[in-house]
Amino acid sequence: MTGQVALKAAYAVTWIIPLAYLSYLLSRFRRVRCEIKDLERSR
Amino acid sequence: MKYLSIGFIIFTLALLGFSTYQALFVAPTEQTMGDVQRIFYYHAPTAWVAGVCFFVNFLASIAYLWKRSLNADALAAASAEVGVVFCTIVLITGPIWAKPVWGIWWTWEARLTSTLVLWLIYVSYLILRRFSVGSQTQTLAAALAIFGFVDVPIVYMSIRWFRTQHPQPVIAGGQGSGLDPVMWHAFLWNLLAFTCVGIVFIVTRYRLQKLENEVEAAHAQRAIAGGVQ
Repeated sequence: MTGQVALKAAYAVTWIIPLAYLSYLLSRFRRVRCEIKDLERSR
Repeated sequence: MKYLSIGFIIFTLALLGFSTYQALFVAPTEQTMGDVQRIFYYHAPTAWVAGVCFFVNFLASIAYLWKRSLNADALAAASAEVGVVFCTIVLITGPIWAKPVWGIWWTWEARLTSTLVLWLIYVSYLILRRFSVGSQTQTLAAALAIFGFVDVPIVYMSIRWFRTQHPQPVIAGGQGSGLDPVMWHAFLWNLLAFTCVGIVFIVTRYRLQKLENEVEAAHAQRAIAGGVQ
């Protein structure tokens, strides 16, 4: 693995993991908001 | 509050752009390693954020055991999860940096091994929180977090206590250590940017945990009401 390839790979990892985590958090937010709406509707 | 959050997110994104520019284009190329040394500007700040997250988790766990506050428990859960995310980045970028410089991806020396153990401790913490049921879950998680935090200073001190393949400390490493001033600037900008990303993640995850707690409480209340009827 050359230095340039390693730098690009590390750079990609540093961005992909937080972005994946952020999308995971947002999907959980959507699910919780749906549940809250269901609870409010069923009251 | 909402505008403050949006403002902070925009500030963080701008900071990330600027710090990336500093790391890739402004900081000078290191003489022996070449461009691959620029991984340092991501690797070290993400390690710092992971350490701070685990410290917040440690404090929040103590606060939970002391006050039995659900807010403290939510903060502990949030900080542990974000800490694991950043520790994962450290454990992946480290070997990517090691391969062209050392010729190997991994070696079982003190810094690398203690970091892997740290990651495993907090992954087990998250597994405990996710799959354990009952009223003791939060207490057990808090106890695990307090004992688990012992590994954080071991990770930090490992390159001072042992002869390691990992480089000796560049920052606060005593005589002969240090960085070129331009490298220092690039490093500090990245440190600030990733710290802000960590804050955004912890606050977001904390809010999510509070919402999930509310939904869980509402479900429990409905179940009790249904049982009474």
